[in-house]
Amino acid sequence: MDFELSAEHRMIRDSVREFCEEEIAPIAQEVENEHRFPAEVFEELGELDMMGVPISEEYGGLGGDQLMYALVTEELGRVSGGIGLSYAAHVSLGSKPIEMFGTDEQKERWLTPLASGEEMAAWALTEPGSGSDASDMDTIAEKDGDEYVLNGTKQFITNASVAGSVLVKAVTEPGEGYDGISTFIVDPEEDDGFEVTTVWDKMGLNCSPTCEISLDDVRIPEERLLGEEGEGWKQTMKTLDGGRISIAALSTGLAQGAYEAAKQYSGEREQFGQPISKFDAIRDKVVDMYRKTERARLLTHKAAVRYDAGERVSTESALAKLDASEAAREVAEDAVQVLGGYGYTEDFSPQRFYRDAKLMEIGEGTSEIQHLVLGRQLGL
Amino acid sequence: MMKILVTVKEVAEVEDDFEIDGLGIDEAYLEYDLNEWDDYAVEEAVQIAEAGDDVEVVSVTIGPERSEETIRMALAKGADRAIRVWDDAFESVDLLDVAAKTRLLAAVVEKEDPDLVLTGVQAADDGFGATGVSVADEVGFEWAAVVNELDLDADGGVANVRRELEGGVEELTEVDLPAVLTIQTGINEPRYASLRGIRQAQRKEIAPMSLDDLGFDASALDSPIALTGMSEPESESDATLFEGDAEETAAQLAEVLREKGVGAQ
Repeated sequence: MDFELSAEHRMIRDSVREFCEEEIAPIAQEVENEHRFPAEVFEELGELDMMGVPISEEYGGLGGDQLMYALVTEELGRVSGGIGLSYAAHVSLGSKPIEMFGTDEQKERWLTPLASGEEMAAWALTEPGSGSDASDMDTIAEKDGDEYVLNGTKQFITNASVAGSVLVKAVTEPGEGYDGISTFIVDPEEDDGFEVTTVWDKMGLNCSPTCEISLDDVRIPEERLLGEEGEGWKQTMKTLDGGRISIAALSTGLAQGAYEAAKQYSGEREQFGQPISKFDAIRDKVVDMYRKTERARLLTHKAAVRYDAGERVSTESALAKLDASEAAREVAEDAVQVLGGYGYTEDFSPQRFYRDAKLMEIGEGTSEIQHLVLGRQLGL
Repeated sequence: MMKILVTVKEVAEVEDDFEIDGLGIDEAYLEYDLNEWDDYAVEEAVQIAEAGDDVEVVSVTIGPERSEETIRMALAKGADRAIRVWDDAFESVDLLDVAAKTRLLAAVVEKEDPDLVLTGVQAADDGFGATGVSVADEVGFEWAAVVNELDLDADGGVANVRRELEGGVEELTEVDLPAVLTIQTGINEPRYASLRGIRQAQRKEIAPMSLDDLGFDASALDSPIALTGMSEPESESDATLFEGDAEETAAQLAEVLREKGVGAQ
């Protein structure tokens, strides 16, 4: 077992960190307050080849591995959960499935602009009445000649309002449950009947648009079917195995950012004649923050390394996502506490990490669903 | 075909709170990074290469194996290949002085035969601020120090430069090639290395060069300068806080300024 990153991975992490500290950290709170998707930041991420890290070079990606992608995602999370979330959704959910399940023509047309950062990606699984139980899906796709006609409503879709393509899950065989779901590539600009009906105001992550979308007789050519009819759920499971690693990485970044803020503050803030980090109560808290962050990172990297070895990672990615998301929320909460009154103000980052971290326990499978997945994997 | 040689250095950066250990700073408080001035020199060279047809950018450093990561950053930003000068003999040297660096870098210049050598004005750690000009003198190149604007006329063999002098004075001058220019921060906006650049840099050549390769033995590192002590300078700060409304505080400020002689005839 080798716990050291390669020189290449380390260099990429350090370089991304420098960019994040210089270009993103100074505006992280501002874009939250403005509820503004920072398109200019994503343009720069594209120029630095960050938008397609684990996508093959043939389609404009970097050709890096999942570990490299996890490192980049963690660094984004360390400064901005919202930018990190839009980034992870773009790569893991909106781009990666096209690479895994698309035809060469589909990759050429749809994946290349995503991997190079010209366009943002989204995917649409959740519906108003269908969350953890995705088999209870109402969005339907009916074949009509050489076209499909999509109707339904999708809920909590990250990036939908800024996306160049959305991977929409819809029922092609009603009554077949998981085996009746298929995936379609929808173009929000060109396809009539696609409408973003709501951009939600949220507890956090407000620079990352979370949308409700309505599909009203959206007609798309049959070449927009991703993979085969009925494969939608299998694709989803495979996509989430990778996606959960990125949410774990993002959560690790949130925890790291919160831990660093608390560590620095506790070393500078003096009360009763000494830095508060010298008091057992605060020292132990900061040490625990470090412990949880490091644990989250190790589980994340283990899942990523196994993914890169081509092994199944359902257990590892669920475990990493479950642990890291809880670590992020706990570490961020403690960071607010360490900073006291200042931690509760928007002038300091811990409150933002705290707000952002909560979603990590909900999106891409709630913590309860991760327990369900893990229980099954353990044969319980 | 034009060749630009850029000298780069890995410098130690010290944390705000640190401890001195003998003649140096305790390693626990040090982080290593590419010297800031050199980052601008690399950027300048790469921009020339991008604007020109056939320009090769070669980066050279004197440093231990650890410094490969630093010089690889120059490769990631667009340098074509690199040279790293090192030898076991360096391990026992406390202070590599300007004369020793000049000997080594001049030997590399003679081997590579570049049209232009770009160095940083100074290094952020030992800060001699002399190596670039000293190398120019040794190899007989023209030179200009503290360059903050460069317009290269490669066909005419002339570098039009703007130099930053003391007291805000600037000088515009022409320097015939081959030349050494020491590059000031602010001359350009150094890019972030792209991730593809970093990946490609892993496969670019960093050629090792020993003292022997450059035609020297260990005596090339000898220096009349010895490091005899390291201490933190005493620092004093004197802050006065004026309290009251604008009129009162302005009066207090005016009084202090008068006392200090500001505005006196």
